[in-house]
Amino acid sequence: MDAETPKETFLGGLGTALKDALLITAACGAVGLLVNLFHPEKIPYIAEEEYETLVPCPEPGGEVTPMEPSDPALSAKETFVVDARTKAEHTEWNFRGAMNVPYDYLDPTPDEIIHELAKKIAKSRAQRVAVYGDGDRPDTGEQLGKEISGKGIKNVFFVTGGAPALRQPDSPGGGP
Amino acid sequence: MSRFLKWSGHAWLSLPARLYLGWVFVYACIHKIAHPGVFALDIATYDILPLELVNIMAITLPWIELCAGVMLIVGFRTRGAALAVLGMMVMFIVAILMALGKGLDMSCGCFASQAAAEDDPISYMTILRDSGWLFLSVYVVLFDRNPIGIDRLLGKRRKSDA
Repeated sequence: MDAETPKETFLGGLGTALKDALLITAACGAVGLLVNLFHPEKIPYIAEEEYETLVPCPEPGGEVTPMEPSDPALSAKETFVVDARTKAEHTEWNFRGAMNVPYDYLDPTPDEIIHELAKKIAKSRAQRVAVYGDGDRPDTGEQLGKEISGKGIKNVFFVTGGAPALRQPDSPGGGP
Repeated sequence: MSRFLKWSGHAWLSLPARLYLGWVFVYACIHKIAHPGVFALDIATYDILPLELVNIMAITLPWIELCAGVMLIVGFRTRGAALAVLGMMVMFIVAILMALGKGLDMSCGCFASQAAAEDDPISYMTILRDSGWLFLSVYVVLFDRNPIGIDRLLGKRRKSDA
């Protein structure tokens, strides 16, 4: 075998290798940018809006019990209702003055908000907490319910079907 | 130590390492090149890069993987290609460690999209696998003497021209 000497190949040529690596990166990056122009699934060079990444974070989850949207307990004084949807969705419609705690799949709910929620629940003298979300799979209401239950709030329920189910005419919050 | 460094077997050991790494990178880039939008979503899922860089990364990285992989297989500018692979492996390992640190339950997006790889979540086994490839790339950078490949052919031609 006509191998080069170790001195030539071991650390000696690293400068050239680094130059080559940079060249590969620059040239191939440029090729990629060019090919994207003609790609059938081309994407803009700079994303125009945030990607919707739905990755559940394994936050310490607690027990949460499903509650039907038609359950009369939902409208009872002893039930503190929480809306896990976005602020905009909450403003557009909410179930009888529910407190809005938007659930984010990537970021855990800040402790200050959980403390504020706990204070409000205590002040309202409610005996149970019902959380409703977007009703999707997974449902933000159920996820937020698990999160707040895991952080020490007891007797947490989630409304099956979320806001869309609550807005059905035959449910307590029915109507547009 | 110096005997170990001078061992002629490295040249032949680095050959399968180089071919394997090349194959891994060519294989890994196929779905990313075919579906840049899906790969961009995979990158965004890591929640590390600012939004402005996500698409640029999704468009350019697979081509760097393809080029480095092909160069490793054909033995052209082998050490440079291995160094590029080494850099990418370090980047991937850091990204996966950060995702694991955040507790994200996701696929690494290395060979398939998030949707297609729900059953292959990132874990410390992913780090172990990537560390193996990192080790191979370091080995090729340090010990490749290119017994078979374009570099050797070109070297022979230069010698005969001289």
